[in-house]
Amino acid sequence: MARISVPTTARLPSSLRVDPTNPAATKILGRLSRASLLSVALDWLDDNNLPLALPYLREDEDEDDDDDDETDDFHPPARSPEALREIYTSLQARKGSKREVLDRITEGDWRHGLTLYQLAMADLQYLHDHPTSQQWSAYRIAPLKPPHDPDGEAAPEVDKQSLTIPRFHPSTFLRTLQSHVLPDVKAHYNFDAHRSLPLLILRIFVLDSPYNTNHALQPTGTTTSFDASRTVYIAFPDASPHLFISKPTTTTTLSSSGGRASGGGGESKSLRNLLVEGIPKALSRPLQRERFTLQSTSLVTRNLAELVERRGGGRTNSAGGGWSVYADETKGKKETPLDLVVPGPPLSLPDHGEGGGKRAAAVPVSDAERREERAVKRARLVARARFGGTGLVGDGKGVERVDVVVEDAFPDVVAEDGDGDDEEGVVGRAGRAGRKSRVDGSLGRDAEDEDEDAQEAAAQGWRPFVRLTFHGSHVFAGIRQLVENGIIDGERMPGWMTGEEGVTIGAVRNGRIRGHKGSGL
Amino acid sequence: MASNLDDEIDDLQARITSLKKQLHIHTSTLLTAPSTRQLLTQPDNPPTTTLTLPRSKDTPPKTQIQPLLAQSALQEAHAQQCLYRACATLTTFRARDPDPRAVDGGAILGVRIEVLSRARFLRPYYVLLNRPFPGPGSRHLRVHRHTLPACIPLAGLAGRYLPAPTPVKGGGGDGEGKKRQQQQDLGRFARALRREVVRYHHRLGVVADLRKAAGIEGRRGAEGEGEEPGRLVDITPADAEAKQLTIEWADGRTGRLVMGDDGEIVKLVVLGENGRDREAGRDLLGGAVRVEDVVKRLATLG
Repeated sequence: MARISVPTTARLPSSLRVDPTNPAATKILGRLSRASLLSVALDWLDDNNLPLALPYLREDEDEDDDDDDETDDFHPPARSPEALREIYTSLQARKGSKREVLDRITEGDWRHGLTLYQLAMADLQYLHDHPTSQQWSAYRIAPLKPPHDPDGEAAPEVDKQSLTIPRFHPSTFLRTLQSHVLPDVKAHYNFDAHRSLPLLILRIFVLDSPYNTNHALQPTGTTTSFDASRTVYIAFPDASPHLFISKPTTTTTLSSSGGRASGGGGESKSLRNLLVEGIPKALSRPLQRERFTLQSTSLVTRNLAELVERRGGGRTNSAGGGWSVYADETKGKKETPLDLVVPGPPLSLPDHGEGGGKRAAAVPVSDAERREERAVKRARLVARARFGGTGLVGDGKGVERVDVVVEDAFPDVVAEDGDGDDEEGVVGRAGRAGRKSRVDGSLGRDAEDEDEDAQEAAAQGWRPFVRLTFHGSHVFAGIRQLVENGIIDGERMPGWMTGEEGVTIGAVRNGRIRGHKGSGL
Repeated sequence: MASNLDDEIDDLQARITSLKKQLHIHTSTLLTAPSTRQLLTQPDNPPTTTLTLPRSKDTPPKTQIQPLLAQSALQEAHAQQCLYRACATLTTFRARDPDPRAVDGGAILGVRIEVLSRARFLRPYYVLLNRPFPGPGSRHLRVHRHTLPACIPLAGLAGRYLPAPTPVKGGGGDGEGKKRQQQQDLGRFARALRREVVRYHHRLGVVADLRKAAGIEGRRGAEGEGEEPGRLVDITPADAEAKQLTIEWADGRTGRLVMGDDGEIVKLVVLGENGRDREAGRDLLGGAVRVEDVVKRLATLG
């Protein structure tokens, strides 16, 4: 431990050791399964990580006189990392309790403390084991116009014509983040690539202490510093100007009192706000006249795969739902212009085989049966047309919650003062093929003026406050199943119910979510 | 035994699909052949002249010829479309938004951008436009959906060439209300977009070429033996647009190569153990101006 601790603005070094009995450390390790614990321990002992995760080894000098000492030690220290590696590999092959491994780590091989780096690795292992343990919000990194007034008074506006794609360099980003944005916050940062998804995950472990030496980790008095520590993850998808920020979680034990928990909640919210404000500044390079801001993209989910799909570097960002046929890159759908075979209608191809098989299996007898079969088939077809290749139960790209506010005027009122030939419907009772009535059109134009048409809403008829929340393991797969089974009429279902906009929070106006003209840019 | 049967069934299924595919290809080739067309259209003329050979058996009845003709016409249209797609690489099509509440009756104008990369057509990129604006700007287009990767600055291009119409305010609120509507230019938009897409793919291609020329792919397996320090071990794009490359040498030196939009070398910095290593940078470039020159140079050296 350093003699004198001086508050600085530097970040916490990775090699800082935390006492293994520290509640945060026990919690981080305790929630891992036995298999994960062992693999993490082996990762620590890997040659690349070893300098930052040195285990407690027997020293060579006092080899001779130490023998009797070690006999009553339950976990005798190993002689070398190689030996330790062997021990953990043999543990991996053997069956046993998790407690055994945990004790071995905390009381044996790392009794002198676990480094922050080790804790970060363990935490990331937990994230890999439980991919849905964090709730992520997606943000877009948008370029800003260079400020024209020298005072910097006016808020900079988003440059809609900029062609710059934000670039991101991990170490530069971290340095700027720490020095310019979070100088008062003592944090430990750790980058790691996601194992299966094209993501770079930054773990920020925030400590409530001004010191960056062991002092920060001392449980002085009441467990002040560690109690308030927070972990925030930021995920950077490869080749995409988006980033995902997780909701901060406290590492405090659940036993903390209610009042403290609520206080912690507010604190963590402010930490998140701090990050949302600070990240674009850390990404910006004012000397090269590149400034950025973060824009919320109304997508909040626990599913990282879905986030990568809708905000990642691929083709599917703005082609969800039925539009995914345009982005589909799977075999046989290359659509090269050198292929001279006339493609059938997009939906008929896979149906041929299926239909043929079914017809052979069961020939419908009565008229009613035939009609029913036709209806079922049609519902399936419609579902495929509206959802394309998305919203399948097993695709692992589900959002678990969708909140929608319907701000449309009540249909009857519209029908009364509008010309009655167009029925304007609400959700699930939509009018014919999207023809807009005049009322609707004028409303759209007015709304266009205001962009946020709070007053407009009051002026136009009665608008009941309708708020819908869909909740489930895969919301849009559920809706698709309802369509397939004919419970929702797929042809009249509004587009936002297919999830093609890729938002989980939105307002529906004129039957369309987010803005008045559908999505787009 | 059961698995054997399953394998057999799978094999047969695979054969069926491949045979079906071949059948389709042969059908379309036959249909597009001029001689087939001639044969199909011929029977229309002979009946007028009664002096034909009595081959009532050979001549297929009209009910068979009609669908064949339709198919042939379809095939011809498709062939023409393919020709345009392959040569112009920028084509449009019409589509319909399945959303019953879609603007403008769900009418969609699609722009299809073909990309040729490594002697192969990739899956085309699509931009789907609609006309959501009411009033005077109703003919203005807006990007509705697209399948472009995030590293193409589509939003910026759309802002430049497809600006939204400025809403006409009622009354004399602002003096500049009569300001001319900003014109949209779909042609320029599409061309600029295609240019960006093609540049991006060329940059990606050049990175792959660099890797190949430096022998990175091949030597992966045979690591460890004879580590000459001047060897390149990794070249990877460092940003979304593939404009910056990270270069790593076997002895731990790292470099950053910045290229411009079109593959010209903007800057190269190599960092060794003792700060900047200008010599290594000069060695790598050898006076090259474009990245392709570096590829050639590496290929001759290696």
